[in-house]
Amino acid sequence: LRLICTTTAVQRKNVGAPGPEKYTEAFIKKQIEEFNLGKRHLANMMGEDPETFTQEDIDRAIAYLFPSGLFDKQARPMMKHPTEVFPEQRKIQWGEDGRPFHFLFYTGKQSYYSLMHETYEKFLNVQKHQDQLIAQDLPLQKEKRNLAGSRWLSKIELEEMLLEKLSDDDYSRFIQLLQKLVALPCADIEENYIQKFSKEVPVQLQKVVIEPLQYDERGVAFSTGEGKRKTARATAVVYDNGTGKITVNGTDILHYFPVLQDREQLLFPFQFLGRIGKHDMVCTVSGGGRSAQAGAIRLASAKALRSFVTEKEVEFMRQAGLLTVDPRVKERKKPGQEGPRRKFTWKKR
Amino acid sequence: SRHSTCTGLQPPFSCSCRIMPVRWSRYNPSYLEPEVKKESYQKPLEELTEEEREQMELKAVRPIKAAPPTLSSSVFSDPMISKFTNMMMKSGNKVLARSLMSQTLEAIKRKQLEKYHKAPENEKETIECNPYVIFHQALKNCQPIIGLSNITKGGKTYQVPVPLTDNRKRFLAMKWLITECRENKHRRTMMPEKLSQELLLAFNNEGPVIKKKHVLHKMAEANRAYAHFRWW
Repeated sequence: LRLICTTTAVQRKNVGAPGPEKYTEAFIKKQIEEFNLGKRHLANMMGEDPETFTQEDIDRAIAYLFPSGLFDKQARPMMKHPTEVFPEQRKIQWGEDGRPFHFLFYTGKQSYYSLMHETYEKFLNVQKHQDQLIAQDLPLQKEKRNLAGSRWLSKIELEEMLLEKLSDDDYSRFIQLLQKLVALPCADIEENYIQKFSKEVPVQLQKVVIEPLQYDERGVAFSTGEGKRKTARATAVVYDNGTGKITVNGTDILHYFPVLQDREQLLFPFQFLGRIGKHDMVCTVSGGGRSAQAGAIRLASAKALRSFVTEKEVEFMRQAGLLTVDPRVKERKKPGQEGPRRKFTWKKR
Repeated sequence: SRHSTCTGLQPPFSCSCRIMPVRWSRYNPSYLEPEVKKESYQKPLEELTEEEREQMELKAVRPIKAAPPTLSSSVFSDPMISKFTNMMMKSGNKVLARSLMSQTLEAIKRKQLEKYHKAPENEKETIECNPYVIFHQALKNCQPIIGLSNITKGGKTYQVPVPLTDNRKRFLAMKWLITECRENKHRRTMMPEKLSQELLLAFNNEGPVIKKKHVLHKMAEANRAYAHFRWW
């Protein structure tokens, strides 16, 4: 017996997915009013002043009233301004008669293609200006733009700007076009337009604070550092006015690290700075294997040496790769394979 | 029969590079290689060329990868020797490979010193005693200039002469040396002895590895007619 009772909605075939929910402007306005009202109620409940109730106070109040043991912070109860909760969406792109406003609507990615058109228009403008200058025999300005201090917008930032999904290919084409535009000698004319798509990168990557030296009872300056590599964790204490003795977990390095390569790694920061016989070191290390422990102590000692040394030398150490934590760890084994990369032996039958 | 399922590997971080690398690394693509040599940091600003200045500015802004355990700023660490040691290594036994390498260099030094002490006064200056210099020169002599690659056209496979990159040349030279030493030696001779022998022969442009290089060159010369099959 076949079920014959079908509704008209089910009978319609070839209906596309409804897509993300579209919020109208009135809905967002109402949400904002409700949020502000709720904020004042919450302030009253907590006994605070409703006028000066900031977002941090709201977060603390909600965490107090609705304690949650969930690990994911996004899953816990939260009360935020509606513009942060509801993603920014494009308003309806067509008028009452059904005709779209933008001429590129039917391409599907109207903002992306209109952006490409605009950028290419600027490119042609710059070329025309260049030709005019050549016709008048004037010298072309060639001021080199500082490439190191700025970066292009990332794909996610561009998507947010255009309110449209982009593919990797689209994004790379756009960046290539921008680079071509910047490479022209007279690109300074369109500097305003280019600046919309470039971001400042902090010039010095020295965001880390260097700790000052500490002094122990005998008046000898010392400094501590921590390092890790794979599963090994190490702490190192570097003393000034030393003879170059290095102790690891209570034993001398010659006994702890019989392999030459590990001892070379321990001495690497000292040799790089030229301070081989001037410091004493006492370190503790646990976990990992022989090479991982050596790498962890190397990082710890380099971090400790930062306090003894000028800023320029710290920058040199960073460029030599002594101050970066090595992110390489053992790759996991995957199901259906024998190891992380090795597949099972292929048998024909 | 068992199907070996190959799950599509995605890197855990978001890659902002345009070409997806076949071998991915745990570092973000914006990380630069570390520069370990002390001398490059002691040059004063005026001596640097334009490119070097740009490179320095770029390095000040970008993060740098951690230096690998085989690399160090001491005079004894040489990237070419490390590469050769890694190629000699079997099943991750770096300790053994490194000891073999140091024994080889010692053997070279001993042989050269013997020759030096036996030679008459006027020839003493021509004998090279530094094993690192001998190693580098021998590798350089073994590197082929042109290689052959198999190109299938119209059902038949031809050996087409093709230019080689620096990395490939170095790799081939090292590979030939190691295979030569592993296969064509008497059961009782130790690897360092045989390697030192081969390196000294290669230093003087003699020996089986140099012959192999010449054979490859002759084959490439013989197949000159197919050079236009190459499209890259």
